[in-house]
Amino acid sequence: MKQEEKKINSTDKKNSVTVILPAKHCQDGHAANFDWSKRIRSIVGIFVLLIIWQITAQYYDQPWIFPSVTRVLSQLAHPLREHYASGTLLSNTLISLLRVLLGFLFASIVGVTLGIVMGSISFIRDILEPVIELLRPLCPIAWLPFAIVIFKLKTLPQLFGINYSHTIFDQVQIGMIFVIFVGGFFPVLTNTLDGVASVRRNYLLLAKTLGASPVQIFYHVHLPAAMPMILTGLRQGLGLCWFVIIAAEMMTGSDSGIGYLLMYAADNSAMDIVIAAMLIIGAVGAMLSFLMRRVMFRFVGWKEKEI
Amino acid sequence: MTQKTEKQKESRYAKAIKIQKLSKVFHSESGSTVSALHDINLTVNSGEFITVLGATGCGKTTLLNLIAGLDIPDEGYLDLNDNLKFGMNIAYVFQHYTLFPWRTTLNNVAFALEMRGISKQERKLEAVKLLSKVGLEGFENAYTHELSGGMRQRAAIAQALAMKPKLLLMDEPFGAVDDSTRADLQRMIIQLWHENQITIIFVTHNIDEAIILGDRVLVLSERPGKIVNEFDVNLPRPRNHLTPEFTEFFMKIRQTLSGQLD
Repeated sequence: MKQEEKKINSTDKKNSVTVILPAKHCQDGHAANFDWSKRIRSIVGIFVLLIIWQITAQYYDQPWIFPSVTRVLSQLAHPLREHYASGTLLSNTLISLLRVLLGFLFASIVGVTLGIVMGSISFIRDILEPVIELLRPLCPIAWLPFAIVIFKLKTLPQLFGINYSHTIFDQVQIGMIFVIFVGGFFPVLTNTLDGVASVRRNYLLLAKTLGASPVQIFYHVHLPAAMPMILTGLRQGLGLCWFVIIAAEMMTGSDSGIGYLLMYAADNSAMDIVIAAMLIIGAVGAMLSFLMRRVMFRFVGWKEKEI
Repeated sequence: MTQKTEKQKESRYAKAIKIQKLSKVFHSESGSTVSALHDINLTVNSGEFITVLGATGCGKTTLLNLIAGLDIPDEGYLDLNDNLKFGMNIAYVFQHYTLFPWRTTLNNVAFALEMRGISKQERKLEAVKLLSKVGLEGFENAYTHELSGGMRQRAAIAQALAMKPKLLLMDEPFGAVDDSTRADLQRMIIQLWHENQITIIFVTHNIDEAIILGDRVLVLSERPGKIVNEFDVNLPRPRNHLTPEFTEFFMKIRQTLSGQLD
């Protein structure tokens, strides 16, 4: 009998799975050796760039146009320093993040729900898809004037009848949330829709033969099968939300946020703050993307190796 | 005692499935029609092991799908007796995509029980038992991508058995594994068939496999799919490939199939 059985019996429960994946072990061992030189090389590039930047900036010595690395770093080292009565680097970053998270949360809930409904009920999909395809190509920022007119500068606490809550939430305008919602909504919706609608027919038949009811098929097949696409949509959506908020904060009518501080500092020729803000925006964007990747791997790791 | 054995005997010869003049036509998008099955007449006894043999694309899968209720016939009768009920005691093992890749092996095997609302503890117990029956102990927490082709089919069979099926439909389940694994799986399925008293309809394009497994071998023709011949394989089990009787069956079936090709 028995190649396969021997393999099964000769391994104990704990490492039985790893035994049939020897390739993975090799790769890991290999990676540990390989990483060092690769890591050094990747740092070298950044280091050279910083040195060229520093030398050029010192040579021209016009910090209001091109500040040195050290000036920018000193701004980053003091994230609690107040600028132009517009708050600090840290406080403005937190305001932007809060806006994005609220808008994204809203976009995720509506996008995933609607995506699931449209993906599973073709009648509703037929009605809504043209509307969505019409609105989707529109740049989210183009919604901003409309949102400001509709929502004025109403803040989140004001929506609940509190005029001034003396918290960070006073900086969260409904119009901003709306624009972020528009930015995050479409990628979440379209990916969820595709994920739910494109489940392999075999899995549906398999579940059916195993006695699953339509509702059970939805929960145990449609949803898990669509999960990788849903999370891809959420990752794209969150990234786009972060792009959109920075642009929205640079527009007229805004009075806080890291995008606003960047614009305001530029108007005042404080290029060290501008570049510091740029670095923060990049770092936060990378961090959000990294976190979403971790979430994806945690929940849909099986997808990576699906055959 | 005698009554019981008589009853068993009775159920052994009871008709599980009765098919009369069954036909199925597919319409392709380009407008052409393909007659997948034509005038199928077949009676399957309870507890019988039937193998269906034919070239790829001759409607074997369609026949299984019709019996499983996954497709609707255009003409003819299909009677399921023996309390056979779709989704309850008719299990189906496919060739591909036999397991849900987002579930562990244990949870795949427990799927049918979960759908029936059986408690987590109970279904785990049952699934572990089934996994050891198919030789997969220790792989409870492995995902599909961590299993070899043969292991996947073992898990798929355990998944099907969890339904406690009376009828087991198998669509070229061992088509994608190597020869030695295939022989192991064949022995295993015979063993499980003996233990569980189930009716099995097993589709294959491998003549050897059809004779090794089946009480009866049905040979299907190509387009339209028709039963062209039927062989009662009255060889004792376990069957040996290297006997003249086996070879005789092989030759006869081979000739029937070649006759189809001409």
